[in-house]
Amino acid sequence: MILRNLLSPKTDKLQPIIKQLETAIGKDGVVRRKQELLTYECDGLASYRQRPGVAVLPRTTEEVAAVVKICHDNDIPWVARGAGTGLSGGALPIEDCVLIVTARMKQVLDIDLENHRITVQPGIINNWVTQTVSGAGFYYAPDPSSQIICSIGGNVAENSGGVHCLKYGVTTNHVLGLKLVVADGSIIDVGGMVPEMPGYDLTGVFVGSEGTLGIATEVTLKILKRPEAVCTVLADFPSIEESGAAVAGIISAGIIPAGMEIMDNFTINAVEKTVKTGCYPTDAAAILLIELDGLAVEVKSNKHKAAQICRDNGARNITWANDEATRMKLWKGRKSAFAAAGNISPDYFVQDGVIPRTKLASVLQQINVLGDRYGFKIANVFHAGDGNLHPLILYDNKIAGQFAKVEELGGEILKLCVESGGSLSGEHGIGSDKNCYMPYMFNEIDLETMGYIRNAFNSKGLANPGKMFPTPRTCGERANAQKTANVKGAQLY
Amino acid sequence: MVAAQLQSIINAHTQLEKVSDSTWQPKIAQTVTDSTDAIYLAVPETVADLATIIEAAAQEKWRIIPCGNGSKLDWGSLTEKINLVVSTQKCDRIIDHAEGDLTVTVEAGVQLADLQAKLQATGQFLPIDPIYPQEATIGGIVATADTGSLRHGYGGIRDLILGISFVRADGKIAKGGGRVVKNVAGYDLMKLFTGSYGSLGIISQVTFRTYPIPATAQTFILTGDAPSIATAIKQIKNSGLTPTAADLVTGSVSSALELGNKLGLLVRFQTIPESIAEQGSQLDAIAQSLDLSVTSYQEETEAQIWQKLSELIRIPQSSDGITCKLGILPSSAVQLFQELAEISPTKSLARIHIGSGLGSCQWLESDRAAITRMRSLCQQQQGFLTVLSAAKSVKQEIDIWGYSGNTAIMMQKIKQQFDPQNIFNPQRYVE
Repeated sequence: MILRNLLSPKTDKLQPIIKQLETAIGKDGVVRRKQELLTYECDGLASYRQRPGVAVLPRTTEEVAAVVKICHDNDIPWVARGAGTGLSGGALPIEDCVLIVTARMKQVLDIDLENHRITVQPGIINNWVTQTVSGAGFYYAPDPSSQIICSIGGNVAENSGGVHCLKYGVTTNHVLGLKLVVADGSIIDVGGMVPEMPGYDLTGVFVGSEGTLGIATEVTLKILKRPEAVCTVLADFPSIEESGAAVAGIISAGIIPAGMEIMDNFTINAVEKTVKTGCYPTDAAAILLIELDGLAVEVKSNKHKAAQICRDNGARNITWANDEATRMKLWKGRKSAFAAAGNISPDYFVQDGVIPRTKLASVLQQINVLGDRYGFKIANVFHAGDGNLHPLILYDNKIAGQFAKVEELGGEILKLCVESGGSLSGEHGIGSDKNCYMPYMFNEIDLETMGYIRNAFNSKGLANPGKMFPTPRTCGERANAQKTANVKGAQLY
Repeated sequence: MVAAQLQSIINAHTQLEKVSDSTWQPKIAQTVTDSTDAIYLAVPETVADLATIIEAAAQEKWRIIPCGNGSKLDWGSLTEKINLVVSTQKCDRIIDHAEGDLTVTVEAGVQLADLQAKLQATGQFLPIDPIYPQEATIGGIVATADTGSLRHGYGGIRDLILGISFVRADGKIAKGGGRVVKNVAGYDLMKLFTGSYGSLGIISQVTFRTYPIPATAQTFILTGDAPSIATAIKQIKNSGLTPTAADLVTGSVSSALELGNKLGLLVRFQTIPESIAEQGSQLDAIAQSLDLSVTSYQEETEAQIWQKLSELIRIPQSSDGITCKLGILPSSAVQLFQELAEISPTKSLARIHIGSGLGSCQWLESDRAAITRMRSLCQQQQGFLTVLSAAKSVKQEIDIWGYSGNTAIMMQKIKQQFDPQNIFNPQRYVE
């Protein structure tokens, strides 16, 4: 045993710093046992797995800074991890890395209701922010579907979206300031309690940087007053094209709903088979869910207008719900869509791409053509208001070679999104999953320019290496495929 | 030297002249302290020509001031030994208005007023209200992150920008973001460039989100004593009201608007008529309960009042006038104005957006002590004060940016990465 350990370069590399890490954050915050490290070997994108060299669980900014400084001084790569629900492998460890887990950084540091701000540690769960301020009539707007388990730090890293971001924007529109530990272990404060402080908008640069620039240890968020009224409208259509036209019609009528979601016939049937909501007609080609919020008088007017636009675009049935319980019932099917896909197929692969919303119908048709060509069924559920698609490719991982084909099909779908004028990712991030596709969207000059930012923050390249940008090493190979992780009690999408 | 070298590479469409022979001379003179060497002005008509000029400039290490129409050219620190002013004003094509997607892609030189006219024909608009709305170009607006009261309802420039292209300090053209409303691929170069004052590259193209023009609008101005105004602000922010703009103004501004001499609160609703009626009556009730006077404006006068407010505070009223951008915790805004009234009772005009805490102020004549005091008050309440326009003599004597954080070194590293030879707006912002 001893001999093997001595000969193992892996052990040698981290061994000298373990003591330092233990001194910095205490023995109970340093996880080395293989068994315990299993928890950390993947995030929500469980197709890729890698056990970290060591996981550390600091409690304070200073402890994070001490860990990062140790990594910097010893040239050890490190990866930040929040709740591990990310879907692009942003928190995937790399070999022999130090994994910095924010799970013990869960304090609310300051609540300032008068100024509509709250400051929290990064490990706090998204939904807790809303719970903390809801008694006073406030909420935190970005609501990724994993909001009951995902952390604010992870939301900041990935610039997470959600169902309501059509009207309210994504994470970056709600972060005022950050305390950061950057890659040399120094602590800096970007942004503040007031927006547009003098100097470069480094808050804007950091949000969505996927752990490649440093780690946020304090986050100041804007909170909003709860809207006076909320109404959910459900319409079903004889064709996807007509549902897409209704979305465009609503937007161009000057109505900005909080969210608009479409599910196709295949998904409707999967959902009705699984959760039996009884809300969605199984013969409909598509259903459209529209959530309107704001002042009661506006919601009332917009509800009628939106319903009329749906009717004008061929909707067959229209229902709406003003009370919480009925609204939840209408949403239940949408929220169960991915679980339903999981029930009717052994495995599924979710893609995240964006297209201009006016191209919904034609792109969806092409996606189905691609699916047929590759021999896979694709279910479509998406944030129609902002053109953010989540095609679900159904497959069976037990069949040798299927996942490789699914990945290829996923790549073709992304290419289609970019060629249609869209983007590689609307909310899941690039991470380890899509870095090799970045050249679809950005040329060498663009990528080199983004590299300027990374050089400034992370000159040794130790913070989350190999993520977000294509590298010859990562884009030459693909890890063994496994299906997406199931996290109990929460929807991931 | 500049002229000879540029002549050999530019094409016939690019205008090249000595600044001293042009109408730009007074603007440049406000910004550049010495002018021993002739400064040239280049106005390319295409982004490709712009890139060619910058590539040559990089080789010669010419020091460049990038600009659009130059309406805000004097904002920023003073500089020296400038060789070239490059204006993007003729790169002014509207590339694509994706009407159904509510996005618009334009070259940097497009004038906001022209763009708004074009969007208006389709029932849309860009919800920004910067100073000099007639002359300001999109590039200049983004470079200075300049918008006004509409921030309350629609966010700042950073929240509206979806994609950007720019010419780097080596003359290469790079881009970030895209043309869709939701996109997380790559670093957010849009936000880095928003408010970067031309120090990192020359913005060549921008994609924005557009919005439908609201059905109708009404503005209410509440005036009264400080404690009542403070309570009204609290009540409004704690209510379900959804104004698109809400500005606290000093008594001096109320007076200029002929509404007495007490603090004022301008609240703008832009939505459907029935909602305006409802919100107006709720606001009236708040005003009544606090004994505040209410004046309301509709239609043309409604838009004019906001324009007038912006010009009054933000355009220097004389060559001695000093204009500033400031920020403060919104809850401290009323108190700040009470202190301002003591520091400069009649010589200052100011407003603060009650949602974000950002605002602007003007001293009608140079008063360095007052500026220093105000800056310190803003900083005590977690804000800042930045001087925008001021006489050269004032800019020579004070730190105009008022940056008080611990991130200057990181900003310098970024500048160094993007512009290693420090050719873009040297000495004016970060270096």
